[in-house]
Amino acid sequence: MTNIIVACPQCKYQMSVQGNPGERIELICPKCKIYGFFQFPEESSTAPTEDVIVVKNLTKYYGKIKGIEDLTFSVRKGEIFGFLGPNGAGKTTTIRTLLGYLHPTNGEAYILGKNIAHNIVNIKRDVGYIPGELNLYGHLTGRQFLDYFGSLRNKQLPLLTDLLQIFDVPLDRKIKGYSRGMKQKLGIIQAFMDDPDIVIMDEPTSGLDPLLQQKFYDFLRGQKKKGKTIFFSSHVLSEVDKICDRIGIIRNGKLVALEDVETLKEKMGKLFRVKIKERPEKFTGPKNMKVRDGLIEFVTSGDIDYWVKQLSHYTILDLEIHAFSLEDIFIHYYEGQA
Amino acid sequence: MNNIFRLKIALQTMKDYWKITIILTFLFMAMAAMYAGMFPSFEKSLIEMMDSEFIESFNFFPHADQMHTYVGFLTLELYNIFWLLLLAIMFGFIASSCIAKEIEGKTIDILMSNPVSRKQIVLEKFMGLIPMIIIINFSMMVVIIGITVALNESLNYVNLLVVHLISIPYFLAVISIGLLFSAIIDDKMKSSIFMIAILIGMFIINSISLMASDYEVLGFFSFLHYFDTFNVLEFGEIDGAGLVVFISVTVICLIGAIVYFEKRDIEIT
Ligand SMILES: Nc1ncnc2c1ncn2[C@@H]1O[C@H](COP(=O)(O)OP(=O)(O)OP(=O)(O)O)[C@@H](O)[C@H]1O
Ligand SMILES: [Mg+2]
Repeated sequence: MTNIIVACPQCKYQMSVQGNPGERIELICPKCKIYGFFQFPEESSTAPTEDVIVVKNLTKYYGKIKGIEDLTFSVRKGEIFGFLGPNGAGKTTTIRTLLGYLHPTNGEAYILGKNIAHNIVNIKRDVGYIPGELNLYGHLTGRQFLDYFGSLRNKQLPLLTDLLQIFDVPLDRKIKGYSRGMKQKLGIIQAFMDDPDIVIMDEPTSGLDPLLQQKFYDFLRGQKKKGKTIFFSSHVLSEVDKICDRIGIIRNGKLVALEDVETLKEKMGKLFRVKIKERPEKFTGPKNMKVRDGLIEFVTSGDIDYWVKQLSHYTILDLEIHAFSLEDIFIHYYEGQA
Repeated sequence: MNNIFRLKIALQTMKDYWKITIILTFLFMAMAAMYAGMFPSFEKSLIEMMDSEFIESFNFFPHADQMHTYVGFLTLELYNIFWLLLLAIMFGFIASSCIAKEIEGKTIDILMSNPVSRKQIVLEKFMGLIPMIIIINFSMMVVIIGITVALNESLNYVNLLVVHLISIPYFLAVISIGLLFSAIIDDKMKSSIFMIAILIGMFIINSISLMASDYEVLGFFSFLHYFDTFNVLEFGEIDGAGLVVFISVTVICLIGAIVYFEKRDIEIT
């Protein structure tokens, strides 16, 4: 049995409904008496349940300077988790503490069930990493670099061929002469080549052109389908929107939000901007309706159909409906909840 | 655990320093050939100059009074300066930058994304430098033998071998000190400067202890005090205490480097 809050498509009245996944139930809105059906979402067969990264009260101070404080969250197996926050929020600190570069001041963390404080070398057998400030060995060629790292992994490299095809780099040139994007591609290749269970990345798409970013997202989705887990920090909200299942937002070293992207999208709503021939005041929109320069503006979540139908009683001169940008939501978090 | 015996970081370290190894090898071979080869043309004038005043002016070198002999000339000109000081500075410079440069150059993040322990990084970097020492060490020995034969000078080749065998723990001690600095100081230039200061400091301390008998005890703080190439080359005298010192310094510095490197935060800013 699950409990879901459903909004009436007509009057927006929110009601709680109970049912099993996949079940279809009849509903009558207690307020406006409209009749309809509600279908519970199917439980996906690859339900991410197992937590592969568990962070408990993790704290890291650089001397007196706070890096992160009391972070608690977990990442589930098979999900793409986006880690967001303004500059200096502590994203890199979190990642580098998780991977054993920095010793936590307090708290603990587990990756694949192993404590990072005692088992970091073992953990790294199954975890790939792309550092934020990616610096590779400039004096080596791409091929020499991959050979070296392949030998350090001491494993099969089942994805190497595919990766080299997707992210082709001039393997026989010295890395010194690589462009930023080429270096980033090589960073991606080395992180994924041995097909690790988890890959942790610090701003992985910086330096990649839009086409490559797209290829990279497709690749990540493919990895996710295979049950691999991705944890990455980002400033690019559109990519977070496209590929993440869940996100954590960190500000000032503290976690301020931990949400399902779907939930977040629902929260976002849609922005309507309408110009009607009639006087704008004649139209009764939702509570948040504003009239600006003769344009009607309001935000609504989900029930576009209802409002379009309401508007159809007027003469529409211009109509714009667009998704509330993630930006607006994040700025809300970044600036701190007012 | 099996990873640590695969020595892939050591192998890479060796490859990284391959060019430097070749250059230093040829440089020191040339230097050895030049100095040893010069002896016949200096011999006469040196014998004439060997009065007490002249010796006095060189007394910051051990066995300055033997400068006119082939062995004395070799140790004074070649071993004391180019070998024990200059080559040690080269090795020290390389060792003291070899971990620091990964941190300064920020490649340490990507290196440690592999399943390698910090202990392994320190140990393998150390091991990766050993071939360089051995190659330079014995190629210079071969050159000395060649020149000696060519000049028809007399030299005890067993003692020569012993000098070069003792050189190994001596240089290992030097690179282990360098590695310790390298594990502590992120700035490779700073780390190298500390290392070079220590080596030159030890040279100066030894010279002072030779010149002024009041300060003789100072000599105990210098590696050079424990490695008298003249005594080895001429008399086959091995300073057991010296060997103990070199090996203990190596072990202590390595353990120190590992312990510190394991404990420290690897910060990249
Ligand atoms: N080595 C360091 N020494 C002192 N303070 C540090 C160090 N590294 C980071 N900090 C501080 O810790 C805080 C978190 O920094 P961090 O690099 O984790 O932020 P971030 O979220 O990755 O930022 P960005 O988006 O700019 O990459 C900042 O206040 C930063 O100044
Ligand atoms: Mg960062």
